[in-house]
Amino acid sequence: MQAEGFRRYVEPEIEVLLRVARTLAGASDADDLVQETLVRAWRSVDRFDGRHPRAWLLTILRNTNMSMHRRHRPASVDDVASFANARPAFGIDPSSTEDRVMDSFLTEDLERAVQSLDAKFRTVLLLIDVDQLTYAEAANALGVPVGTVMSRLSRARDRVRRHLRPTFAAAGGHR
Amino acid sequence: MIRTIRMMVMCHWSARRIQRYLDSDPAALLDDAEIRRLEAHLAECDKCRAATIEYRQIDSALSRWAARRMPDPDSVTHMHEVVDRLVRGDLQ
Repeated sequence: MQAEGFRRYVEPEIEVLLRVARTLAGASDADDLVQETLVRAWRSVDRFDGRHPRAWLLTILRNTNMSMHRRHRPASVDDVASFANARPAFGIDPSSTEDRVMDSFLTEDLERAVQSLDAKFRTVLLLIDVDQLTYAEAANALGVPVGTVMSRLSRARDRVRRHLRPTFAAAGGHR
Repeated sequence: MIRTIRMMVMCHWSARRIQRYLDSDPAALLDDAEIRRLEAHLAECDKCRAATIEYRQIDSALSRWAARRMPDPDSVTHMHEVVDRLVRGDLQ
């Protein structure tokens, strides 16, 4: 019964955990972090009430990351570059023509804009806009209130937008 | 003059809500009255409308990073194997 519940809670969240682990700990440590998170989740599953498994797992992931003595090290420069430059995965729908046009303007500048953010702003931006977490899930992953997530996210996006202003101006004819 | 000041106040009010409007996150939804007020402002303010379009384009570009960076299938498989070993008692 415990095993059944554990699978039901954990298996749908494995990809999310891997994404968030890469954002918090970097690509090279993500697998170790998720594996240790799963081990700790298994040990504590009998105390889990079954509600909000993703929030439960993200809290364990954050605590595991801290206890593994890794400082919160949001996506490194290399990680950000690999987000932007990687080819679409097989089966991913190609973007629309308009998106591709904007991509050609945005890709490099966006990468630079994200890299230029302070770590705490960049991490929130990546968790929400790349890893697709909700505000509450990002708050769980970081151990901060939702209001802090919203404030950092807003400032991160404002800075990215400001950084991209010349790009948007240059692309004006395509919008 | 009054119209200009009213517009500036609305721009300030809207700037604090545009991202929440676009995100529709369950933790910070705008209410119906706020949505109507914001949409009415966006319809008449070029500057705020342009900001909304830019936020949307940034969000769209970033969400495509996610699509291109799916976790390594080997890592996903490995984690499923970890789950199997945990429930079998092979891993403590």
